[in-house]
Amino acid sequence: MHLAHLRLRDFRNYPRLDVDFAPGFHLLLGDNAQGKTNILEAIYLMATLRSFRGVGGAQMIRHGQKGYFAGGKVVGQGEHEIKMYWSARERNLSLDGRPVKKLTDYLGTLRTVVFCTEDLQLVKGTGRVRRRFLDLLLSQTRPGYLPLLQRYMQAVRSRNALLRQRAPDPALLDSFSEQLIKLGNELIQARRELIPKLSPLARLAYRRISHDAEELRMEYQPTVKSDFTVELAQSRAREQSYRLTLVGPHRDDLLLLLNEKSAAQFGSEGQKRTLAIALKMAQAEYLTGIHGSAPVLLIDDVMGELDAKRRAGFLPLLERTRETSGQVFMTATEANWPRELGRELQRWEVNAGTLQHARVSVSGGRP
Amino acid sequence: MSALPNAITDLISALNRLPGVGPRSAERIALHLVQTDSTAVKQLADAILLARERIQFCATCGALTEESPCPICADSRRDGSLLCLVERAVDILSIERSGTFRGKFHVLGGKISPLDGIEPEDLRIAELEKRLTQEPVKEVIIALSTDVEGDATSAYLAKRLARRGLKISRIAYGLPAGSGLEYADELTLSRALEGRREMNQ
Repeated sequence: MHLAHLRLRDFRNYPRLDVDFAPGFHLLLGDNAQGKTNILEAIYLMATLRSFRGVGGAQMIRHGQKGYFAGGKVVGQGEHEIKMYWSARERNLSLDGRPVKKLTDYLGTLRTVVFCTEDLQLVKGTGRVRRRFLDLLLSQTRPGYLPLLQRYMQAVRSRNALLRQRAPDPALLDSFSEQLIKLGNELIQARRELIPKLSPLARLAYRRISHDAEELRMEYQPTVKSDFTVELAQSRAREQSYRLTLVGPHRDDLLLLLNEKSAAQFGSEGQKRTLAIALKMAQAEYLTGIHGSAPVLLIDDVMGELDAKRRAGFLPLLERTRETSGQVFMTATEANWPRELGRELQRWEVNAGTLQHARVSVSGGRP
Repeated sequence: MSALPNAITDLISALNRLPGVGPRSAERIALHLVQTDSTAVKQLADAILLARERIQFCATCGALTEESPCPICADSRRDGSLLCLVERAVDILSIERSGTFRGKFHVLGGKISPLDGIEPEDLRIAELEKRLTQEPVKEVIIALSTDVEGDATSAYLAKRLARRGLKISRIAYGLPAGSGLEYADELTLSRALEGRREMNQ
């Protein structure tokens, strides 16, 4: 899968951009604040309808303009054309010229995995970050997971609204609990099946990029230990004082252990950073395995933070992307870009909201 | 820009409040009306007033009707032992159009939704319970929507209405008639599998 064409209008610092991309490795070079990450953000946005910088639509509009447009052509199994327009008053999303009515019909058109500094939150942040990581991966690989998750969250919100009432009707609470349990059990099942498949991939990735010999292990930590119905009933007294649904997949976590010790608590900064990257690599490998083609990799500056030896751990993944005619976009400044990665890479110079092709083959000429 | 006379802008904003009528359509309709022959406009206005005056909710089932009880409730040929429970009065029209149901109806007036502040007391459940004591109902068929609130409301009602000699059922969900499996979304398919039925030889 690759993005063959990108079109931006009034997106961040790009007034107008039309550019074709071939499959392969693209290096976006430029000084700080020239708009390198904005390109990655636009591609990620088209894939997930979110910014990986965690901002809303308004912040992606070019200063002083009404709205932005982001669109492009994706070549995977067939060709697809994505168009999205966002302004405070109007939002349009179309796929192949038809308006998108259901999110589930759209997601999956373009698959991406982003590597960025915010990934560190996967290790350091709250369980919410790790739940979102699992949910995104399951939504991309397991048909029906996303609508299930949406229904479950609706049940949680409804139940919480009931719990906030002065004296919730017990019969009514039971009816919503029934929904919660039925949908929640399906989510737990899906997550329980994912972790054993993901954990070895993350362990391998970690081993490849780390100097040290620690063993990484992932452990799913559901709030429901065995029986949702029983445990929900047992939490009733606590629910009444917190006025919230306290057990269920919406409170699950994913434990990250290095040599059986919590990485968040005992890991060094370097280990946490390596671990975050390993999780993303596992995500990319898992997606590749399921779909048979690699997702578009978006690598924002993280390589610069790693030394050459750790960077070398990336090579197999990049190699695989090339074999399956996938695509990699990577940002770097002239000073810190990892030259050893350059075989057949395409260099782009990013300068104040413009993109210029500088097709130079780095290590010893083109074949 | 406000070169339009006040009477027209008032009409536009009144039309704009109607369902499915946006600002553009409201303006088009308003401009059309003020340029139409006044007898035709008067007929339209009378028709609206008359309809509004005549139509009321059936005191028994809650359907839209000109007389109460409504023709369905009053029809002695319909099977009084079957009672179909729907969310809104317009749902009756959908079921009637299918032409397969010969029982009676009861409109709930919505579904329980804690997020929108809709509680059992806001729905016509007490009226339903009263009907169950007065009418010879043997089966209540719940035909509510299949979202989280619809499912929870159905479960709640199944418990609350439970009494001796009364069967409570829910309409099946599954594949749309006449379509292949490839058009069904995953959730519908898994529900359809759950609700599979044995085939009699």
